[in-house]
Amino acid sequence: MYKRVVIADDAAFFRTALRDILSKGGFEVIGEAVNGAEALEKVQALRPDIVILDVVMPVKNGLEAAKEISLLKLPLKIVMCTSLGYEPIVEEAMKSGACAYIIKPLSEAKVLDTLNGLGGAHGL
Amino acid sequence: MDTSKYKALYLQETNEHLSGIEKGLLAIEKGSVQSTDLDSLFRHYHSIKGMSASMGYDSIMKLSHAQEDLLSLLRSNKLALTIEIAAALLYCLDALKNLVKRVEEDLPLDVDISTFVNRLKSAIEGRPPEIRAEPAPITELKLSNVMKVEGKVFDDLLAIVGDLFMTLSSFKSLSHNSRSIEFKDSVYLLGKSLNGIHHNILSARMLPIEDLTENLPRVVRDISKQSGKNVELKIEGADLSLDRAILESLGSPMVHIIRNAVDHGIEPLSDRIHAGKSPEGNITVRAFAKKDKVIVEVADDGKGIDCARVREKAIKGGLPEGRVRAMSDREAMMLVCLPGLSTSDSVTDTSGRGVGMDVVKDTIEGIGGTLEIDSVPGKGTKITLDLPRTTSIIKTLLIWVEGEPFLIPLSKIERVAEVGREDISGGVLGHNGAEVPVVPLAGLLGIEEGTVRPLYTIIIVENGKGAQGNDGLIGLRVDDFGDEMEAYIKPLVPPMSRLWGVTGIAVMGDGRPVFLLDLPQIISRAASQAF
Repeated sequence: MYKRVVIADDAAFFRTALRDILSKGGFEVIGEAVNGAEALEKVQALRPDIVILDVVMPVKNGLEAAKEISLLKLPLKIVMCTSLGYEPIVEEAMKSGACAYIIKPLSEAKVLDTLNGLGGAHGL
Repeated sequence: MDTSKYKALYLQETNEHLSGIEKGLLAIEKGSVQSTDLDSLFRHYHSIKGMSASMGYDSIMKLSHAQEDLLSLLRSNKLALTIEIAAALLYCLDALKNLVKRVEEDLPLDVDISTFVNRLKSAIEGRPPEIRAEPAPITELKLSNVMKVEGKVFDDLLAIVGDLFMTLSSFKSLSHNSRSIEFKDSVYLLGKSLNGIHHNILSARMLPIEDLTENLPRVVRDISKQSGKNVELKIEGADLSLDRAILESLGSPMVHIIRNAVDHGIEPLSDRIHAGKSPEGNITVRAFAKKDKVIVEVADDGKGIDCARVREKAIKGGLPEGRVRAMSDREAMMLVCLPGLSTSDSVTDTSGRGVGMDVVKDTIEGIGGTLEIDSVPGKGTKITLDLPRTTSIIKTLLIWVEGEPFLIPLSKIERVAEVGREDISGGVLGHNGAEVPVVPLAGLLGIEEGTVRPLYTIIIVENGKGAQGNDGLIGLRVDDFGDEMEAYIKPLVPPMSRLWGVTGIAVMGDGRPVFLLDLPQIISRAASQAF
C-alpha cells in the first residue's frame, strides 16, 4: 500500500481538509507544499509514495509539476486534484505521468477510494 | 465533510483572496495590467470558488465561478479587457465581499445573484449593463482584524508586565498588613487584570513549531547529501505552539542534533544492509505536550552511542577514572555534552557528537529546558528536549539562605518540608517511604553557614537524572521560604553570566535584585556530593 503522502495546494483550507481525510484513512501526510515548485522539492527530499497536486497553483502549476516529477522516475504515484470542469486538463496530466485524479469539492469517500485504488506493493 | 471546523480557515483565506482581487482590479482600472496579473486574479477567483464549493456556499461558488470564467477568457485573449469589464468585476467583488461577510455573521446565503451574473454576461458580450449601477461607493475605511507587529514589541510588553508583577507583589505584602478592605480589593483586582494582560501577551507570542520545522526537510536533504546517506525525515506534532523566543533559540540546537544524527548516528548504506536495517536511515522529530511543557524528541535508527568509547574519551580528556567507571550508562552518555568530548575519530569532522553538544545543552537549559540522551547500541539514539511553552515570567518560590534571598522555579519543586535538625541528621529525609538525600544549599553556593538551627526548610526538587520515583528527587536545605511570586527573569549579561549556580535575575518590588537559581547545575553538584 502507498501510505506516505505529500500534498500540494496553495490553499491551507484544502491542505488541512485533505490532511484530515487522509489521516482518517490511515495515510500519513509527510509534507505540504504551497506551489508546484515546492512540491517538486518536497517530493525529492521526502520521497513520498503519493503526491497530490492541485492544478491551479502559483509559481508552478500542478500540470508542470506533474510533468517534472514524472521525469524524476521516482517510485511514486501522482494524483491530480482539481475543481469540477477541469477534467480535460486533468486528462492531459494523465498523459504526462499522473495516474488518478480527485475532483473538488472533496468528499472523504471519493478521496480515500481514489488513493486506496492506487494499490500496488511498496517499492514499485 | 464536516465543514464547520474549516470555517475560520475559509474566512481567513477567502478574505486574503478578496483583497488580492481588489488590488488587481484597481490596477486594471488604472490601466496597468500584465498577463501575470490576470493569472493571479484568475487564481484568486478559482480558489474562492473551490473552497466555497467544499463549504457548500453555493451562491459564493457560483458568483466566483462566473468571474473565474471571465478571467479565463481574458487570459486566453479570447476577450479584450475593457473598462466596462473591470467595472463589472468590481461590482461583483462587492457582492462577493457581502456574501463572505454573511458567512462570517452566520447569516443565510440564499441571496439572488442573478443581477451580478447578468452584469458579467453583458460585459462579456459588450452590451451595456442592464442596470447601470456603479459599485456602491465606499464611504468608510475599515481595517483588517489581523495586525502585523514586530516581535520585539511583545518582548518589551512582557518586560513591562514583569515589572508590574514585581510592583504588585509589594502591594500584596502591603495589603496583608492593611486593614482597608478597599485596598485589599483593589490589589486583588489589579492582580486579576495583570494576569489577564500577561495571558494575552503570552498567547500573542505563541508560534507553531511548524514555523521552525518546515525548513528541516531541506536541512536533512543537504546534510545527507554531503555525507552521501539517504535519510528519511518524519515530523510529528508540529502544530503545537511555543513562545517565539523559545522557538527561536531552538533553531540551531535542532540543526546540530540532526546533523549529528545524520553524520554519526545513521550508518553508511553497507553497514545498514549488513545489520538488516532499511537502506534509508530514519530520523523522527516528534513534539508533544506534557503538562505545561512541550517535549521535542529527535530519534534516529542509527548505530547508537558507544558508551565504552565515551568513557575512554572522558578519561583521556582528564576526568577522574573512578568517577567515570562508576557512572551508569545513562550518565556516561551525558558526557558527550562535556565541552570538547567527541567520540568520532574522523578528522574532517564538522559535527562530531560532542563537539557542540555542550553548546546545545547550554542553550536548552538557558531557555529553561532540559536535554536527555537515550541510546541503544545498534538501534539508535534519541535526544529528548523538555521545554517550557512560555518564557520569561515564571512562577517562583522565594527562599532564604543565611539572609540571602533566591528564587527557585516552582515547576521544579516537588514538595517543601519543614523539619527538625535531627530528622535530617543522617543526610537523608524520608519522603513517600523512600529516602531523599539532603544537601545544604549554602555549602553548594559557597555561603558560609552561621548558627545551627533547630528547624530547617527542605526544598525537595526533581533530580533530572533519575529515572522514576524517588530516585529522581533531592532535598536542598535552606533556612526559610517566603512567598510564591511571578517573576520576570532577566538574563544575566557578562561578567555576571559566568556566575556559578544562578541563571537569571529578577528585581523585587522594593527594588532589590534577586537571583534565580540554576537548578540543573546545582543539582548536578549536589548529586555528586550526596552519593
